[in-house]
Amino acid sequence: MALDGVDVAVAEGETVGVIGPNGSGKTTLFNALTGLYAPAGGEIVFRGRRLAGLEAHAIARLGIARTFQASRLCLDLSVFDNILIGMHAGRRTGLVDFVVRRRRFLGEIRAALERASHLLALFNRDLPSRGFERVGQLPQIDRRRVEICRALAAAPTLLLLDEPSAGMNPEETAELMRDLRIVREEMPGLSVVIIEHDMFVIEGVSQRVVAFNYGRKIAEGSFAAVAAHGEVRAAYLGTEAVGA
Amino acid sequence: MLGVMYALVAVGFTLFFGVLDVIHFAHGDIFMLGAFAGLTALVGLKAAGLGGSLLALPLTFAAAILVTGVVGVAAERVCVKPLAGTSPLMTLLATLSLGLVIRESVLIFYPRGADPKPFPQLLPQGGFEAGGVAIRYENLAILGIGLAAMVAVDRVIKGTKMGAAIRAVAQDPEAAQMMGVNLDRTVDATFFLGSGLAAVAGILSGLYYSEIHFIMGITGGVIGFSAAAIGGLGNVYGAIVGGLLFGVLQTTAAALIPRGSEFRDVVAFAVVMLFLVFKPSGIFGEKSVERV
Amino acid sequence: MSRDLALVWVAEAAVFALVIAGILAERPWALGAAGGALAAAGALVRWAPGLRTALARAFARRRGAALGCGVVLALALPLALRSSPYWTFVATLALLYVTIGQGLNLQIGTAGVINLAGAAFAGLGGYSVGLLTVAAGWPSWLAVLVGPWVAVAVGAILFVPILKTRGHYLALVTIAFVFIFNILMNNLEFTGGPQGIKNIPTLHLFGYAFTTRPVLAGVELPAHANFYYAALVVAGLTTWVLRRLHDSWLGLALNTLRDDEIAARCSGVAVARGKLLAFSIGNFFIGLGGAVYAVIVGFVSPPDFDFGYSLVMLSVIIIGGVDSIPGVILGACLLVPLPERFRFLHEYRLLLYGVVIVVMLLYRPRGLWPAQVRRYR
Repeated sequence: MALDGVDVAVAEGETVGVIGPNGSGKTTLFNALTGLYAPAGGEIVFRGRRLAGLEAHAIARLGIARTFQASRLCLDLSVFDNILIGMHAGRRTGLVDFVVRRRRFLGEIRAALERASHLLALFNRDLPSRGFERVGQLPQIDRRRVEICRALAAAPTLLLLDEPSAGMNPEETAELMRDLRIVREEMPGLSVVIIEHDMFVIEGVSQRVVAFNYGRKIAEGSFAAVAAHGEVRAAYLGTEAVGA
Repeated sequence: MLGVMYALVAVGFTLFFGVLDVIHFAHGDIFMLGAFAGLTALVGLKAAGLGGSLLALPLTFAAAILVTGVVGVAAERVCVKPLAGTSPLMTLLATLSLGLVIRESVLIFYPRGADPKPFPQLLPQGGFEAGGVAIRYENLAILGIGLAAMVAVDRVIKGTKMGAAIRAVAQDPEAAQMMGVNLDRTVDATFFLGSGLAAVAGILSGLYYSEIHFIMGITGGVIGFSAAAIGGLGNVYGAIVGGLLFGVLQTTAAALIPRGSEFRDVVAFAVVMLFLVFKPSGIFGEKSVERV
Repeated sequence: MSRDLALVWVAEAAVFALVIAGILAERPWALGAAGGALAAAGALVRWAPGLRTALARAFARRRGAALGCGVVLALALPLALRSSPYWTFVATLALLYVTIGQGLNLQIGTAGVINLAGAAFAGLGGYSVGLLTVAAGWPSWLAVLVGPWVAVAVGAILFVPILKTRGHYLALVTIAFVFIFNILMNNLEFTGGPQGIKNIPTLHLFGYAFTTRPVLAGVELPAHANFYYAALVVAGLTTWVLRRLHDSWLGLALNTLRDDEIAARCSGVAVARGKLLAFSIGNFFIGLGGAVYAVIVGFVSPPDFDFGYSLVMLSVIIIGGVDSIPGVILGACLLVPLPERFRFLHEYRLLLYGVVIVVMLLYRPRGLWPAQVRRYR
């Protein structure tokens, strides 16, 4: 059992950090939330709706967006295309419009492209002009930003970030924190759950922290409280180091 | 009998999937190539006057295994391995086209390639009755050779260093390399082994049907792959079970359906379709690694 | 500005003239000259950077004119080929492959749905036309409109469960299907067995029988030209529709689910539905190609729709460029006429296709006319 008896609640507008050693079930939690895994038991309630058993795309349409540990972008598609897919669920035009009522469809797409440009510009002024380049040609840090833009494009109510700082050096991490603050400012009502190994990032962006180990929640509270928690320290540093 | 041949081809498919995560669509045509190589060897032996000797059969097998082994490894080096890292679509198209090349080559370059070729009867003829069922020596011999081949595969995989290397690479290529396994050589060995087994199956098929045809690779490939899929891709014993199962299914269905033997191929393909439509990941489950 | 226009027209007209010369050349030296001129032109464009940028800019700026010029030349083709009904027919066949190829490309190239039963779906279209016209007495034009839907229906019914699984299983099932189709057509009574269905009546539109010899610009053309224009309209419509579908939310969703199914699902794409849609739309156009073929040739038989043709259709896409709409046109225009022109290659053509595909996949996986980034025009 990857997750056992996890009991977490996220309020509107809150940023919750999730920490825990590798294999403790953090990504599994995300996968269960987004419908990639079907939970064997328990409830997932999102704004009053039960999520367990729903298909991933249905859950996405309800307003949950995520990024992935190893960023999942379509490298051969353009930057804009990678962001536009986030708006796909909100489209109003259909097959007939694509073929015969083209002008109507193009109007919708133009608005979508502008929104994509707007999102990109929040993080990096130069990105919109590269919108029609293939995303594989962008440096890693910009690709991360594109992935975040894709998640934001869907105007979600809940954003799940899976180790966004993975593989980043300290300068890039600082930029990431700046990016996360921008997200906060841009969408104040957005709830964010962020899995991270970098405690600097967690401390900087979370209002509340939850710690996992072996698939169970072992601590919850402010960063300082969780960091000082005996079981958390033991999970990271080993029981001997903690002297438990 | 049929099951044994399908099983041998299926093992190849499943080994290749295990080691490189690829579906080797040309493997069926390697099976056909093995049959033709065997036939060519026999023609040569006959010309040398050794056609009826006791050595004819083993030499034929040896020649065919050598040919398919080399061609199999060459194919892997040229177009399977280089594309293995890219999208599955690419390897599928590449191996499919490679199969086409092999098939057309036989059609074009083998004298009168378009016609089915009679395969000489090398096995003892005649039979006996047991419990009201007529049993032919030939079928027993085919069964025996097939089983011997499977036992040999089992010994190689479980008992030799290369077999261990194959299993290691199938489970985790990176870890295997870190433990000192030479990835390239192991992949080569896997392809040689798989292709060699296909050659054995090809010759057995020739002995069984007393003829071979350049398009036999398509049917053989489809059924072999399906058998491997039924048994769970990556699982060698599953592939064997799948192959035997397929043989039984096909023979039974052909006996039960009116005009069954004419529609034998249709029956086989229909079973394939039904099975894959309803239980694509097989009886034993497929080895698949996709981390989110 | 007008220099760009001139460049575009001259380039297109030159290629057109050289191709026609190559096709109609009677003597080997004439063929060699035409081929050599084309090769020289190609090499010049490839390696003379000034020329290349000038051409690229001209074509980019004058896209409408380039397209228009292409259409004019396509309309004029039967005029140029009027001395050879045979080559008019080959051109028609190429257009049918364009139609089929666009459909197949939507499945394999855009959505990553691997359909190796293209020949069977074309056959479903063709045989439906045969049965509707010969057995049920329907007019040809109606049968052609209905035939493709049979392909769609069969595809949808048989393949819905399998579309949800991994790609290689679908590939395998489609191979099995094309063989079953072939054997069934060969053995069932009502489909005419190995002889197939003969005497499919030709097209009659508004009283105009397609067997009459048309007159264009005062010149009488072979009767085949009627079919060429019909196939041109069909191929043109198909390309138009599929280009628009490709540059739309649908094309985007299909590309995404092809490249990364998990990311697509988490972005709200209903993957199973998307694949089924791509499969069905593709099958419609593949069936349409087969249906028009039936009406043009006048008969359908099992060998017309066997697995080998699935592979030819596949080659068209790979050589032209996977997921590339212009690539399909290029692929069809190369792959269909060349073995006809170089008859000595005819026996080796499948072998050559196989080799070319493997070489392309290794060195030019994107094809000769790679798919461009989506611009939503």
